[in-house]
Amino acid sequence: MTTSAMDQSSSSPAMSFTVLASTAPVLAPRVGKLAIAGRKTIATPHHVPLTSRGTVPHVAHDVMRQHTEINSLYAGLEDFIARKQPPVYNTPAADHESPLKKFICVPEDMPLILGPRRFPPIPCPPANTSSSIALLTSTGFTQLDAHDYVQAVQKLRPDIAVGMVDLANKQPGSKRRARMVDRTHAWNRDALEQLYGPSVAEEKKAKSAYFAPILPLDNAQQSLYLDDLESEFRWDISGLALYQSASLGFVPESLADLPRLLFSEPETPHTILRDISLGADLLTTPLLGVSSDAGIAMDFVFPVPDVLQDGSAKPRPLGTDMWKSDHAVDTSSLGEGCTCYACKNYHRAYVHHLLVAKEMTAWAILQIHNFHVMDAFFAGVRESIQRGTFEQDVRMFNCVYTSAMPESTGEGPRLRGYQLPANGPNQPRRMPKAYGLLDGAAQKFAASQSEVATPDAGADELEEQGFAEKA
Amino acid sequence: MLCHRLLARHPTRLFSTALSVSIATMSTTAAPPLKKMPSALTFDRHAKCSTTKARACTLHLPHGSVPLPIFMPVATQASLKGLTYDQLRETGCMLCLNNTYHLGLKPGQAVLDAVGGAHKLQGWDRNLLTDSGGFQMVSLLQLATVTEEGVRFLSPHDGTPMLLTPEHSISLQNSIGSDIIMQLDDVIATTSPDHARIKEATDRSIRWLDRCIAEHKYPERQNLFCIIQGGLDLELRKQCCEEMVARDTPGIAIGGLSGGEAKEEFCKVVDTCTEILPEHKPRYVMGVGYPEDIVVAVALGADMFDCVWPTRTARFGDAIVSSGTLKLSHKSYADDFSPVEEGCQCVCCRPTDQGGLGLTRAYMHHITAKETVGAHLLTIHNVHYMLTLMGKIRQAIIDDQYPAFLRKFFSDIYGGDRSKFPAWAVGALRGVGVDLLADS
Repeated sequence: MTTSAMDQSSSSPAMSFTVLASTAPVLAPRVGKLAIAGRKTIATPHHVPLTSRGTVPHVAHDVMRQHTEINSLYAGLEDFIARKQPPVYNTPAADHESPLKKFICVPEDMPLILGPRRFPPIPCPPANTSSSIALLTSTGFTQLDAHDYVQAVQKLRPDIAVGMVDLANKQPGSKRRARMVDRTHAWNRDALEQLYGPSVAEEKKAKSAYFAPILPLDNAQQSLYLDDLESEFRWDISGLALYQSASLGFVPESLADLPRLLFSEPETPHTILRDISLGADLLTTPLLGVSSDAGIAMDFVFPVPDVLQDGSAKPRPLGTDMWKSDHAVDTSSLGEGCTCYACKNYHRAYVHHLLVAKEMTAWAILQIHNFHVMDAFFAGVRESIQRGTFEQDVRMFNCVYTSAMPESTGEGPRLRGYQLPANGPNQPRRMPKAYGLLDGAAQKFAASQSEVATPDAGADELEEQGFAEKA
Repeated sequence: MLCHRLLARHPTRLFSTALSVSIATMSTTAAPPLKKMPSALTFDRHAKCSTTKARACTLHLPHGSVPLPIFMPVATQASLKGLTYDQLRETGCMLCLNNTYHLGLKPGQAVLDAVGGAHKLQGWDRNLLTDSGGFQMVSLLQLATVTEEGVRFLSPHDGTPMLLTPEHSISLQNSIGSDIIMQLDDVIATTSPDHARIKEATDRSIRWLDRCIAEHKYPERQNLFCIIQGGLDLELRKQCCEEMVARDTPGIAIGGLSGGEAKEEFCKVVDTCTEILPEHKPRYVMGVGYPEDIVVAVALGADMFDCVWPTRTARFGDAIVSSGTLKLSHKSYADDFSPVEEGCQCVCCRPTDQGGLGLTRAYMHHITAKETVGAHLLTIHNVHYMLTLMGKIRQAIIDDQYPAFLRKFFSDIYGGDRSKFPAWAVGALRGVGVDLLADS
């Protein structure tokens, strides 16, 4: 099946999504190509590298260009709007350029997806309102007005903008569910109107492709909204943003040719494979960064190479904990036979040393490696789907590898306030107490005690300490 | 075990007849005719400033040639704060530092031996210099006491008593395999009012140098540098210079400075030492790294410098530029879309059409002190700035334009206002024949 989602009537002719291989329109794995004029093409299924304040954590811009295959980025607007007059809006850029890309200093050909919130978002205690959502900037909680978000999209010109969505912090009740649908419906209707509506002059129409959110609710609960997506909004939206794997089952067949961006937090590659088998095209994989921070070098290959398919062996771990002291003198690469920049230039003993020494380079090296593993994993997935062996390959993968990522035994990098959940009641301390009023005094006391020659010391010791002698 | 080895030593007490009385009365045990120390370096002198004592040289080390004068960035724990070694290579760095004290604790000597040295550990194929660990004993540890056998301190990990002797320090540095190794010296603050203690430290450093030379296993591939001590007492410095020069180490360091002393005093010490030190050996002023200090020290005849300041200040969001430093975390840079420094050729500042990253001050403001990447990028810029500065200094010396360079350098920093030029720099440079306040 080959479908071109975008016909001439589309308001976003810059983006096209082509399905190259698939067995069913929905709920089946598929291989596709997401092409945006003048940008790197994204072969799907693919993971979306997540940014924090416009950077892929620990991966400096030059490292990203030279040693990773990163070919798309996701950014949350909340990372850029802490100030009253956010500088990002003042970035000088030509009409065809994205001020946001200019601001974060990434090349124009890097496909950039913008959403209201970073991913994974920190839950915000303040409630969303009918016209705004609560979010967390580096200076605290604030509200982002739906209208302001649309303006941000117009000004920042990302390649893909994800529509604003009203998500609940906890399992929503029936009233809240109704509100979620109503608000999301209204916000997206207004956004499409302001971005591409008939009242907008042709040259003013937004160039960004728009991904409409599908709420993490049952089909029936949001049927009105889905109906509108299928009819009224159909030609203005270029893709769907989903917030739970189950939503993949609620994609109406008439919207099947749209790319599906799944915002979820898969804990293992097994979950990623399940989401792909349900038809996800673009997936967020926070587990990549989480592993790097935890000092874990990911180590899994899809499809499982023949040498590992001997059935009898114990399940293989999905990664290696570099904190373990077994690596202290191990000069082998992070992943066996891995060809990434990190593995070609550095070894386990070094990464172990850097982690123990709390050096930032450890996370940089681990990120390079883990991105390579994840890129290779998705490349393997695409080939497997195209070959038509995906189902067997997934089964084999599930057999060969353990069901959970290894647990980390060390500490990650220091987290900043905007990366941490808000303080709740009885929350344990984030960091051990560094200073205490009496700690210094206690230490001095202990030290002075050991300096004093005590009767239980031997004669030699007393002599060495200069008994009854002024220091 | 170390103590045991120490006790087994019976240093022959010999006074070298060649030494003058004043030196012989110092309580140093001049080592017996020292084992002849081979040198693992060659030192080419290319040019000497016709006015000042500045020199342009090349230091050929086992892992490549280093143009002098040079600034050496400090990769304390075998990594330059977040950078890969390719990023460091791209700044032009040929020689960087590791710290013996830190590597001795983590990963430890056994690991270094098993891996095959620090070059192999960190994947760095250019030169390494390790300092002896003496400075960390004093700067990091409250409870360090120095005795003749070595430095006693409590392990920062578990509080067990430990002892660092000259022998242990050299043995560690032999395991690290650095191209330049430093003797263990008795470091005390130059501002110490206790003159007797300063004299004791100086004499002890000389005695420890002998023990270091005796212990050094690989003089044919690692260069041991002595460290001149003597606080701010010029007489003591002179004596120490003469004693240490007699030991004929491949290179010479001036230590114990940058400890909060007045800049005038610092300049006097460097000036006094370089007067005595042989022309044909590299001179390394330890722990000095502000651009102003470096340009003046070069004029006073020093060749090598190291300091954590450029890389540390980068992590706080400060960029070094020709007009001083920019505190990029300040809100005035939030909307500044110019590069960190216009015309800078580092990968961060170079515009995208020249293959650079085209980073702006606004973006650095956005991520500095918030994302580790901010630290990585500014570290690259600052190290590149320091190395470019050293390259310009070298070229000015070769062109015999160093006095003019000095005037322009200070003029750039103080916006052309000569009344703001620091008096210590004006004074020190006047001493070597440069009038900063004159028209160029």
